[in-house]
Amino acid sequence: MPHESETTGIGRRNMSALMSVLQQARYASVTPDILQEAAPFLDLGGEEIRASLFFTTDQTGRELCLRPEFTIPVCRAYLTSADAGTPTRYSCAGPVFRMRAGEPAETLQVGLESFGRTDTAAADAEVLGLASEAVRAAAGGSLTTIFGDAGLLASLLDALRLPALWQRRLKRGLDKGESAATVLAAAPTTAADHSGVLAAMAGTDAAGARALVDDLLSIAGIASVGGRSASEIAERFLSQVALRAAPPFGPEQRSILDRYLAIAGEPDAAALALRALAEEAGLDLSAALDLFEARISLMAIEGVDLATTRFSGAFGRNLDYYTGFVFEARLAGLPGGPVLVGGRYDRLAQALGSTVPVPAVGAAIWVDTLHPGQGTPR
Amino acid sequence: MTTSRPLVLAVPSKGRMQENAAGFFARAGLTLQQGRGARDYRGTLAGFDDVEVAYLPVADIVSQLAEGAVHLGVAGEDLLREQVADAGARVALLSKLGFGNANVVVAVPQAWIDVRGTADLEDVAAVFHARRGRRMRVATKYINLTRAFLSSRGVTDYRIVESLGATEGAPASGTAEFIVDITTTGATLTANGLKVLDDGVMLRSEANLMASLTAPWSDATLAAARMILARIAAEEAARLSREVRAQFEAGAPDLGPEAAARFAAERFPSGSPDLQIFHCAAGQVGPLSDWLVERGAGKVIVAPMDYIFAAANPLFDSLVGRLPSGGRSEPVP
Repeated sequence: MPHESETTGIGRRNMSALMSVLQQARYASVTPDILQEAAPFLDLGGEEIRASLFFTTDQTGRELCLRPEFTIPVCRAYLTSADAGTPTRYSCAGPVFRMRAGEPAETLQVGLESFGRTDTAAADAEVLGLASEAVRAAAGGSLTTIFGDAGLLASLLDALRLPALWQRRLKRGLDKGESAATVLAAAPTTAADHSGVLAAMAGTDAAGARALVDDLLSIAGIASVGGRSASEIAERFLSQVALRAAPPFGPEQRSILDRYLAIAGEPDAAALALRALAEEAGLDLSAALDLFEARISLMAIEGVDLATTRFSGAFGRNLDYYTGFVFEARLAGLPGGPVLVGGRYDRLAQALGSTVPVPAVGAAIWVDTLHPGQGTPR
Repeated sequence: MTTSRPLVLAVPSKGRMQENAAGFFARAGLTLQQGRGARDYRGTLAGFDDVEVAYLPVADIVSQLAEGAVHLGVAGEDLLREQVADAGARVALLSKLGFGNANVVVAVPQAWIDVRGTADLEDVAAVFHARRGRRMRVATKYINLTRAFLSSRGVTDYRIVESLGATEGAPASGTAEFIVDITTTGATLTANGLKVLDDGVMLRSEANLMASLTAPWSDATLAAARMILARIAAEEAARLSREVRAQFEAGAPDLGPEAAARFAAERFPSGSPDLQIFHCAAGQVGPLSDWLVERGAGKVIVAPMDYIFAAANPLFDSLVGRLPSGGRSEPVP
């Protein structure tokens, strides 16, 4: 065995300090395998994460990878466990593996996940509060936290009747750090080139549209090949007809969206600004705003320091699976990335094969960022 | 020792690329001499004692250029971009060779009459993912190019299925919904019921003469490279231009400046105003000749040239300019 480096020694001590806080809070310790089936990570994260995974194959040719994170393995373990379906809290700790230029491939992470709780605001607040407490216990110092709300943004876009295609692109663009202006300026699709077909389809039903697509394929002499059925093609034409007929996402809607994205600041002030925006715009966002306000109250109870916590309408995390509360936190005075990241992911369980939705929220702590670059002798 | 190591020139070991590369070097007056038999993978370059020729599969040429195991090589740009992560920092593209032309394209079934461009593909893939709970699959051997291209177009709801042959058959056989593949005429795609997206050309590739920026470039290997590249540049310059000789009656005006301005033709001194000699791009031969006749030439004779050696060596200069220490990198022992 090579001699353990001083830095790793600090990492191990930090890891135990973090875990003892989580275990006192009854987050049961689990240990996912280091070697994982690769498919779930690629299915959920997309091919864009392929470049950061370490792959290998087993003797049957199945693609395996070193675990890049804990949420997906822990969620899979929960779904196949006896606890599935009941509220359950887990914690885990150990190395995770990602290829990143100029950074170590193996880093220590501590994760906490809370499954199955229907008291959404309380579960959100508890996870952020506990993760913050653990970081403070291990590293001392104070945290600055920023959070967003993917659920509130989705409610707003629904209320503004932004078509599904644009909702998807906007969320993904914002999560990648693009501006709404950039996303919304892009070409929608090439529907404009098919105006004859779309005109012919206006007013028809699914069966009529399907018959038209069949005829078009047959006239063009195309034997249907691959992936999508004629019905799916017909449905897409119909959705484009609907998109063209829909009330436009005009300057008024656009200005409401821009105002939402620009709201940033202390949680209570942000809540007031959001209420005011909804009222002025005549939009019913009450369910999402009630949750937003309840969560802030509970965050304070869970020990989150609201004075160093900021909401940002434009804040998102670059992972498709977050559906609600999203957050990240940094230790004051430390450069580099966040020490603590997480959020709500209510659709993950179904994407991993659950037949029923499972509400879930979790966080990950990057242990090596707690004392960056320190290798002080013991 | 650095000075005893030869310059290694890697050339494709089989197929059309081998024939084309051999033809290219032959035109430049560089004769590749394969070792004792056709199965020998090492050879020499006639007249160059300190050059070793390595016959390698094209994929290996690219990786050995990137690692610095060979100095110069011939390979397609597609493989370089696919296989080498930071290609620009490790390998210099010195010259396009005019063969091995092929495009790397995104192709979808022709039956997808509602899909014309990548914006449609983004939409269709997202709906497919949401509805079926799985991502569309793209069959390809160009994993890295595909990921970078689709990412730049905002297409994220897909999975790559690695395909090392007959990729165009994947949609019909049901192992993928669409493909990324290399095509020259598109005929194979059409025969398999596929079409290229309007904005689906990811890379226009052709064979390139490449130089490793990570290889141990000693003074001796640089000197050998300078001579090889001078011949290649001389052949390239000659191949792309023509010599035009025009005969005039006595007392004809000097047409040099006007020919330079109108046809980018270079005037060569002939010793007599009755004979004016120009070099021009091959495509300018017709217009230049017509104009010379118009200006009183009795006869215009156009001839191809074998080589144009020049004091300037742009291929070598571009290699030296890219090397980290201006061409004095010493190998790590």
